[in-house]
Amino acid sequence: MTATLRYEFLMQIRRPSLWIVYGLVFAVLVATLPYLTLDLGFRDADLVKAAMTTAAKLIMTLLPIVYGCMVADRLVRDRRLGVDAVLDSTPAGRTGRLIGKYVGVCAATAVPLALVYFGRAVVYTVTEGKPAALGWSAVVFLTSMLPGLIYLGALALIGPLLVPPMLFRVLFVIYWFWGNLIPATMMPTLSRTIFSATGDYASYGFFLQERLALYEGEPEAALDFLRPAFSPAVAWLWMGVMVALAVALLSAARLHAIRSES
Amino acid sequence: MRIEISQLTKTYKGGVHALDGLDLDVPTGMYGLLGSNGAGKTTLMRIMAGLLRPTSGSVRIGGHDITTTDGRLAVLRALGYLPQDVGVYPDLTARRFLDYIALLKGLDSRSARRRRIGELLEVVALTEQADRKLKGFSGGMLRRVGIAQALLADPRLLIVDEPTTGLDPEERIRFRTLLSQLAGDRTVLLSTHIVDDVAQTCRSLAVLAKGRLLFRGGVGELVAFADRRVWTVSTAGPAPAQGRIVAALPEGAGMRYRMVSLTRPAANAEPAEPTLEDGYLALMESAQATVPTP
Repeated sequence: MTATLRYEFLMQIRRPSLWIVYGLVFAVLVATLPYLTLDLGFRDADLVKAAMTTAAKLIMTLLPIVYGCMVADRLVRDRRLGVDAVLDSTPAGRTGRLIGKYVGVCAATAVPLALVYFGRAVVYTVTEGKPAALGWSAVVFLTSMLPGLIYLGALALIGPLLVPPMLFRVLFVIYWFWGNLIPATMMPTLSRTIFSATGDYASYGFFLQERLALYEGEPEAALDFLRPAFSPAVAWLWMGVMVALAVALLSAARLHAIRSES
Repeated sequence: MRIEISQLTKTYKGGVHALDGLDLDVPTGMYGLLGSNGAGKTTLMRIMAGLLRPTSGSVRIGGHDITTTDGRLAVLRALGYLPQDVGVYPDLTARRFLDYIALLKGLDSRSARRRRIGELLEVVALTEQADRKLKGFSGGMLRRVGIAQALLADPRLLIVDEPTTGLDPEERIRFRTLLSQLAGDRTVLLSTHIVDDVAQTCRSLAVLAKGRLLFRGGVGELVAFADRRVWTVSTAGPAPAQGRIVAALPEGAGMRYRMVSLTRPAANAEPAEPTLEDGYLALMESAQATVPTP
C-alpha cells in the first residue's frame, strides 16, 4: 500500500496539467469571488475564525471541480496503459493497492487546493497580525474541507469505471453545480443537504453559528428531509456521511475488480 | 518449479470457451507453448499468473493450488510475468518504474533494491537509458523493461507471453538468448505463435488449438510429426493444389515451393528434411479435421 501511495502521489503531483488547470480556476476564483477580501458582507464577533471559514467556503465553491476532474482518470489508466497485468501479478494485495492509489492520488490532487487555502491563511496572519488564523485554518480544513474531499476523491476515482473519464468529467461538473451550488429553491437538488460536499454543515455547525439566522425563514424545497438544522451534532453526522460514502464507493470498486477477474 | 494443470476450463461471459479440459505438466527448464492466435495461450498464461480465475479444473504450481488465496499468493511470490502487451507508466523513468514494481514484489531494502535494479538494467542493456522517461522508449526497449521487471524478485517461475512480437530481428535474437540463459533451474514458460522462437530455445513444448491440447513432448517429436510429409516442388506453372505451402522462393522463371502434404503433391516433388515449423503445420493440418469448433 505504501509503495503505491508513494508512487501515485509522485506521478500525480508532477503532472503539469494539475497545476495549470488549478491555476486557471484559481484565477477565476480570485476574479469572481471575494477570496482576497474574505468579505461576505457581514461581520462576526470572532473575525479570525469567520475569515478562515469564509476562505474555506470560497475555495470549496470552485476548486473541487478541478480536484474531481484531475482524480478521474487515475484508476482506469492502469488498464488503459496495460500496466494492470504487471501490477496484478505482484504479491501486493489489490485492496492495499486500491487504498494506496486512492490516498496517494487524492493527497497529491489536494495539494494545490490546500496551498490556496493555507496560503490565504498565511497572508491573513501576516497582514492582520493574527497568528491564531493558522490554527483555525488547520481546524477548518480538517472539519469543513477534508471530509468533502475524501468523498469526492472516491467518487472521481470510481466513477470512470462506469463511464469514460472525459464523459465522467462533464457529468462531474454538472453534478457539482447541481448537487452543491444551485439553490434548492430553484430546482430539486442535493445542495445544502447532508450529502452536499461543500462543507456547509461543518462550517455552520462548528464555526458560524452566529450566521444561522441567514437560513431562517427559507422557503420550503424538495428533499428538505435531507436538510437537518445546522448544529455541531449534525456537523459530525455530515463528516461521517462523507467518509461512509467514500468507503462504500471504494468497496464497490473492489467488488468490480473481483468480478472482472472472473 | 513444476506446473500441473488438470481438466482446466475457462469460459468467458458470452459462452466463449477459451480453455476446454486442458491437462498439462510443465517441468523445470524452458518450455514452449505454441498455438495460433485465439488458441487459448494468453488465457492459460493469465490464469497461471493469477490474473484470471478458471471456470473449473486445477492448476498447481510448485505444489500450490493457484485457485486458493494462499496458493495464489505463494505462486505470485515466486513468479515473474511478462504480459503480451507490457504496460508502463510513461511519466516514470525506467529506474523508477522498476523501483515501484520491486517494492510491490516485496524488495523492501533500498540498497538491495538499487543493486538488483542496477544488475537487471545491465542484463537488458538499458543502463544508459535508465533515467529517461519511459514515454520515449521504443517497443523493443519497453520489452526489455518488461523482462527486467519480471526478473526483479529472482523468480523461480517466469511466464512470458508473446515476448518477441514486434521486435526487430536483432532484438528478437537477443531476447531469445536472454530467456535461454535465464532458464537454468527456473521454469520458463514461453508462449508464442512464432515457431522459430520455440525451435531456438526449448527442448519441450505443448501445442494448443481452440483451447485444447494438441501435442506435448519434445521438439524432436514434433519435428518427426512431419516426417515424409515435407516436399519441395519447382514449377513454372501454378502452385500444386494439394497440401500446404510453407515457403515460396522465386527460382529462375518459376517458383520453388516448400510444402507439407500427406502425399506427394506433384510428380516432380522431392522429399525434404522437416523442421519444427513443418511439424507444427503438419500437426495443425491433421488437427483441423479432428478438433471441432467450440
